[in-house]
This record gives sequence, structure tokens and C-alpha cells, in this order.
Amino acid sequence: MILINLISLSLLYYLKKSSGAQEFPERLHRYFKYGMIAAGVLIALGISNAPPEILFELLSFVLVGAVIYLMLNTPELVYLKTLAITPLPIVGVKLLEYLVRTISPAIFEIVENYLDAAGVFAFIWAVTMWLNHRKQMKEIEIERIITKEQERQLRQTEEQKSQLELLVAERTSEILSQKEELQHALDHLRATQEQLIQQEKLASLGQLTAGIAHEIKNPLNFVNNFSELSADFLHEISEEMPKIPDSPEKENILDLLENIKSNLAKIRHHGSRADSIVRSMLMHSRGGTGTMDPTDLNALIREYSNLAFHGMRANPNPINVDIQLSLDENLPKIKLNSEDFSRVILNLVKNAFDAMREKLSAKNPEYKAKVEIRTRDLGDKVLIEVEDNGPGVPDQIRDKLLMPFFTTKKGTEGTGLGLSITHDIIKSHEGTLEIKSEEGKFTCFSILLPKSTE
Amino acid sequence: MKILFVDDERDVEDLFRQKFRKEIKSGHLELAFAFSGQEALDLLNSEDPPKFVYVFSDINMPGMSGLELLEEIKSRFPAIQVSMISAYGDQENYDKAMSSGAKGFFTKPVDFEKLKLEIAALTSGK
Ligand SMILES: [Mg+2]
Repeated sequence: MILINLISLSLLYYLKKSSGAQEFPERLHRYFKYGMIAAGVLIALGISNAPPEILFELLSFVLVGAVIYLMLNTPELVYLKTLAITPLPIVGVKLLEYLVRTISPAIFEIVENYLDAAGVFAFIWAVTMWLNHRKQMKEIEIERIITKEQERQLRQTEEQKSQLELLVAERTSEILSQKEELQHALDHLRATQEQLIQQEKLASLGQLTAGIAHEIKNPLNFVNNFSELSADFLHEISEEMPKIPDSPEKENILDLLENIKSNLAKIRHHGSRADSIVRSMLMHSRGGTGTMDPTDLNALIREYSNLAFHGMRANPNPINVDIQLSLDENLPKIKLNSEDFSRVILNLVKNAFDAMREKLSAKNPEYKAKVEIRTRDLGDKVLIEVEDNGPGVPDQIRDKLLMPFFTTKKGTEGTGLGLSITHDIIKSHEGTLEIKSEEGKFTCFSILLPKSTE
Repeated sequence: MKILFVDDERDVEDLFRQKFRKEIKSGHLELAFAFSGQEALDLLNSEDPPKFVYVFSDINMPGMSGLELLEEIKSRFPAIQVSMISAYGDQENYDKAMSSGAKGFFTKPVDFEKLKLEIAALTSGK
């Protein structure tokens, strides 16, 4: 009977050992342990031949049966099926031998030889099955290794894939940011190009206007001079007329002379208008003649905003304006061509007045015209702002505002050169002019001047 | 007293004759006109010595410019006063005229009051 228990023991031992590679649940381990203990006890009992021998022999069969049953019916152990059926014939022969011996020792003696032969076959079977089992185990092991290798490769591939994905994402974001940068540069380039075209246009326009202005100036002078002269003569005539006796003809002549006088006044008026345009154009295109001297900018602003105000009040259509000066009293002296720069202040303030006059005439009883002029020290630059609460500048004409001959002023007001000249003067001071505006609310001209133009 | 005006614009003659109508009528002034630098020099050369005391010349003229005329007159007839009348009132022209011996520099449009004062000063000085 020791053989049966040895079979049980070696099966259990094998199971326990093979659980190293494949993790079995705790429950199975417990079975293996108790089974091995039981087998050990039964072996000990078998060696000592302690009674009742029959019972122990039966228990040995029960144990080996239970172990084989466990192996065949536990899902985790199904791969050991070949191993489970390996000892089955031996156990069967032994069981038969036991049964026959127990029930009838007489029959046992007759069939003993057959049973021995069966035992040999069972043994051969067991060896075959064992080899079979070994082969299967090897195949399983190889398969396991292959699977493991495949898994490893899969993991590696996945790792590489995720690394690649990371890299791709990185590159993509790099490319995107580069694209953004390029787009930025392109936009900048386009803006600069537009500016250059604009400046080129302005430059050629400047040369052209200078030429035109000179060509127009001479005939215009004749127009103005002769009309003035004719007015003088008319004056002389009207002094002579009383000496002529009254008559219907004289009445008619006086009438006509009166008409001529008013016509001459009109010629003179429009002539001087044209003259002021021509003079502005010449000033526009002439190279700066004045010198750059350290100037008290605040004083200049006070003087010329005041001048602009009184000039406006003395002219037709004066308006009531609140002029607020918030000047940075710590402003150092700035190198300026004060003759030119005073025109900047005059032009911007006058421009504000004209804009607000427009809004005032739109019959808005609550509206109070206000101009604010600010200066501020920005370190290496000086900020000058002229802000009015007039009608504002629509977006679509804001960039046209600085072009020569562009004017929003109706009829005979304005030459369309004021802001263009202003811009030129600021540029000649290496400064910038920016226009901010909200329609119906305000317009703000911001000038940035470098503190020192070496 | 004879004064010569030089300008390539012919209407200058009408303008000045009308402007100085009274002075011409009263015989205080005698005006002559030339329409180019060469014509002016010819006129001045035709009399010896010339009776002109003052020449007013335009600068921008085809052919001989007013500034060249100024130099010619100053070298040939230093006694004659010359002033320039120009639409180009820039510093460069002014400096050149003054260094060449011009007496005055008038810009167009001409301020006739100033011009009359200049001529009156000449008359009283004589
Ligand atoms: Mg000319």
C-alpha cells in the first residue's frame, strides 16, 4: 500500500512545486498540505503494519482518488490532466488487487499472476503517460515562454508607441508654435510692407506736392494780387463816383460795381484758401530747417493750446470747450524743433475743436465739449496725449486719417493736410503717433517721443 | 528814378505798373521790365552808365537764373542795388543771394507795402 501513498505524495509534491511558476489559489495550497500530511501518516502506518490494515489501505485509495479527482475537476489544474491519469491504471490494478484480496483470498491466489501482469502494463502505461506529460509540460513551457516573449514585445512596442506618440505630440506642438511664430512674422511683415508702401507713396507724393505747390503758387499769386489790386481800384472808383451827376446809368454802374466788388472778395477769399493749402503743402514737404533744442514741453503745450483756443474763439463758429491740462511737472526738457512741434499741438487741438463742433451742431443738449492734454514721463520716452470727447473716428477711416488731403471736414474748412503734417513732424522727431478712438465717445492722439535724439 | 523788374512771368509788368500807378503818374518812379536775365543785362548795357538805380529780380527763371544775374550785375555795375523776389523763400536761396551782395530778399506773394517802403527809402536817401 505504500506505493499508492507514494503516488499521492509525489502527485501532491509535484503540484505544490509547480505552483511556483503558476500561482494557485490559497485553497489549493491548503489541500496539497493536508494531502501530503495524510499521505505521510498513511505511509508511516503502512510501514508499521499497524491495524486495522484494511481501513488504512482503503483510506490510501480514497486519498489518491481524491487527489486525482481534484486534479481532473479543478479549472486551475486542468493542464495537468495527463499527469492525473498517469497513475490511474496502477491505482486501478492495486485497487482490484486489494478488493480481491479482501473479499476472497482464494480467488486472489488464482488471479495474482494476472494482476501482476496488469501491474506491469499499468506501470508501462504510467511511464508512457509520464513521458507524455513531460512532453506536454515542455510544450506548455515553450508556449508560455513564447507568450511571455510576445507579451514583452507587445509591451515594448506599446512603450515605444507611447514614446513615439509623446514625441509626435511634442513635435506637433513645436511645429504649431513655430507656425504661430511664422504667422506672426508674416503678419508683421505684411504690416511693415503696407507701411512701406504707404511711406513710399507719401514720399513721392511729398515730392510731387512740392513741385505742384511751386507751380501753382505763381499763378495763384497773380490771382490774389490782381484781385486785390482791382478791389483797390474799385475803392478809388467809388471815391470818384459822387463827383458824377446822378442818372439812371450811374445807378446801374454803381449796382454793377457793387457786384464786381463782391465777386472780387470771393476771388480773394478762395484765392487765399488755395494759398493756405499751397503753403501747407510746401511746409509739408520742406526739410526741417529749425534746430532741435531742449524745450520745456509743458510750457509749449500751455502756450499753444491756449493759442489754439483763442484762435478758435476769434474765428467764425466758436464753441465752448473745457480744456484740461494734466501735465507731468517732473518732465525734463526735451530736444525739440519747437517751431515745428508747436504746429503739432496747434493742429491736434484745432482738430479736436473741429471734431467737437460737429458733435455740438448735432444738437445734443447734454454734451459738453472737453479736451484733455496729458504729458507723462515714461523713462526713455515721453508720452503726449490729446483726447477729445467728440464724435470719434470710425474704424474704416482711422488709417486714412494721416494721409495728405484726406479730410472729413465739410466744404471749405480744412486743407486735409493738418494731421498729415503733424505726423510728418512727429516722425522727424523720431516719435510715433497713434490714434485711439471709440465712435461717439472719444478720440485720443498719443504721441511717443524719445527723450534724447542724439 | 529808374527801377528794373526782372521776371519770366509777363503779367508781372501789369501788376507792378498798376500797383505803382500813382508813383508812375506823379513821375516819382520810372519802371522797366525784362523777362529774362539776358534781357536785363542787355537793357543795362544799352546805356552807359545805366540810369537804373535798383533791380528787383526773380530767382527761378529759364536760362540765366536770378542769382546768376545778381552776380553779373554786381560785378559789372556795383553801384546798382539788387534785391531778389522769389517764391522759394528757403534758407539756401536766401544765404546765396545775401552772400552775393543782394540788398534784400522778398518772398512771393510780394508784400507791396514792404516793397513800397524799400523804394521810398531809396528815394529819400537820394
Ligand atoms: Mg519765375
